[in-house]
Amino acid sequence: MSAAPRPRVAALALAVGLVLADSSIVVLALPEIYRELDTSVSGVSWVLVSFNLVMALAAVPAAHLARRVGPGRTAAVGLAVFAGAGLACAASTQLSTLLAARCVQALGGAAAVTAVLELLPATVGSERRAAALWATAGALGGLLTELVSWQSIFLLQVPLALAAAVPILAVARHEAATGIISTELRRTGRPHVLANLALAMVSAAIAAALFLLVLLLIEGWRLSPIVAAIVVSAMPACALLGARLGETVPSARARAAAGTILVSGGLGGLALLPKATVALTLPPQALVGVGLALVLSALTETALGGRSPQAIHGGWTISSRHAGVVIGILAVTPIFTHDIAQQRSDAIDAGTAVVLDSRVSPLTKLDLAGRIESRLNEEKGKVPTIGPAFEPLPEDEGERAAVVQLREELQDQLNRGATHAFSPSFGIAALIGLLALAPIGLARKEQVPL
Amino acid sequence: MSAARRAQVLLGGSIVAALVLVGVYLAAGGASYAPAKTQDPCKARAWRSPEGLAQIAEQFSLSALDGAACKLGVSREALAQALASPEARERFAQRYHLSDAQIARAVRAGLLRAVDDAERAGSLSPLIAGPLRETLRGIDLEEAIELIDDAESLLGKVEGILGPAQELLEGFLP
Repeated sequence: MSAAPRPRVAALALAVGLVLADSSIVVLALPEIYRELDTSVSGVSWVLVSFNLVMALAAVPAAHLARRVGPGRTAAVGLAVFAGAGLACAASTQLSTLLAARCVQALGGAAAVTAVLELLPATVGSERRAAALWATAGALGGLLTELVSWQSIFLLQVPLALAAAVPILAVARHEAATGIISTELRRTGRPHVLANLALAMVSAAIAAALFLLVLLLIEGWRLSPIVAAIVVSAMPACALLGARLGETVPSARARAAAGTILVSGGLGGLALLPKATVALTLPPQALVGVGLALVLSALTETALGGRSPQAIHGGWTISSRHAGVVIGILAVTPIFTHDIAQQRSDAIDAGTAVVLDSRVSPLTKLDLAGRIESRLNEEKGKVPTIGPAFEPLPEDEGERAAVVQLREELQDQLNRGATHAFSPSFGIAALIGLLALAPIGLARKEQVPL
Repeated sequence: MSAARRAQVLLGGSIVAALVLVGVYLAAGGASYAPAKTQDPCKARAWRSPEGLAQIAEQFSLSALDGAACKLGVSREALAQALASPEARERFAQRYHLSDAQIARAVRAGLLRAVDDAERAGSLSPLIAGPLRETLRGIDLEEAIELIDDAESLLGKVEGILGPAQELLEGFLP
């Protein structure tokens, strides 16, 4: 099999990375979209859910289309649709139009990525390398972060998708000119059900981890989106380490099980954060990052290994991964939106107790109570930063010290509420991740290679 | 190292890493990192030793809040938030299906409990406590509603109630 030109290999990798990393990039824009489009957390979660749902439903039909029409043409058209819909996403001023554009974008993405998978073995040289490239592309894509606004994320996708499409056009032209498509029209084997099932469960846990962590950092702890992006990039950074570690262990089953345990352990750590401090999110993120690289590559290799055609089985794994993302987000969103309202109320009660019992003079206390109440109303249902309510500080030194202590105690109660609100959801995500051990274990019993 | 051994090490290492992380976070208090629970208002609360009329009035108001909250079956904190403004009181009344009269009766009961608490703590002489109780029992509902209009009013009214007896009070202050 002749080696493909380097630009084409890079384009294929870029196309895969761009589509599969979409959710991990777009998730960083959710809090800004939430504010700008004046929607709810449940509403904004559909920016991810809609894309992943359409990807899950369209991946296998798109793979069949790629085999029938030709992967080059399908990938080129898919990338063009993905880019065009990205522009529509950026231009959206309402949630409904954004969601519609996301659905179209997912259709283009499904066509592009499944078709590219059909080209990957021919261009990269082996199915194993193709699968490994695909598995790590998503993690690399996660390093891309938002720069200016949520629209910029979608705008950035446009030139990248078009750049990926250009070298693939040569394949499309060849298909059109010769009528020969590069796939072998052989009978499609059965998909690896257990590997795909495990992949869905692990993807659900990972998606929930990223979605919840971004919301915790931005909405709970009030970090800026840029800082949150830097913090959550610990996960893909550790995924690179995990990919290296995975290369030293040939057993896919061991990597899958170890990765699943690490992902669930990391989520367990996030469910049990003992303080509202960014540093404490890093060890759990490291476990999730290393774990996801191990388990995703192991399960993807297993689902694709020895199976042909690549596009169809790749379609099944893409469908499983994205269905998992949908399940993960839909499972945790109602739980944590309920919990955040409850914890806000508990935090305000605890804060009121702090104010009532503080050593601040009664008149200062009354003044502060009014300002704190206004601050809470300004933040409308969110966990607020209470600091501004305490400005200016009293001039009297003793009173100032008492007010500063009150401010810290009050903010501590609010931080506790914001952090605790996410704990049950992280815990549920950890349990969903652990469930993936069942299909991995069943595969062993049934002597299915995993 | 054989491939099988590497697989075992990876699996064992993952289990240990996950357990250590969860164990360390649990030991550091991760399971209890949540907002502090509010205290049952029906249980007696430690009475501070306030100095000066303003602080006595504040302590008195806190105790009255406890008493009223206990009577209404809500937390002291929920009632304090409700008394912060007329709008907040309205929301509170709607949420707990309470009439102004019910709230006023609870506040009057709370004020009486505050006298009991102050007397028990030795902050109020029985010579003052008796007449003060009579005064509070005589507050009509309208006055009590006015009293609970907002926290500032509550504090001011308590000061007002205690005010006429200020000289006498200060003579009996510990």
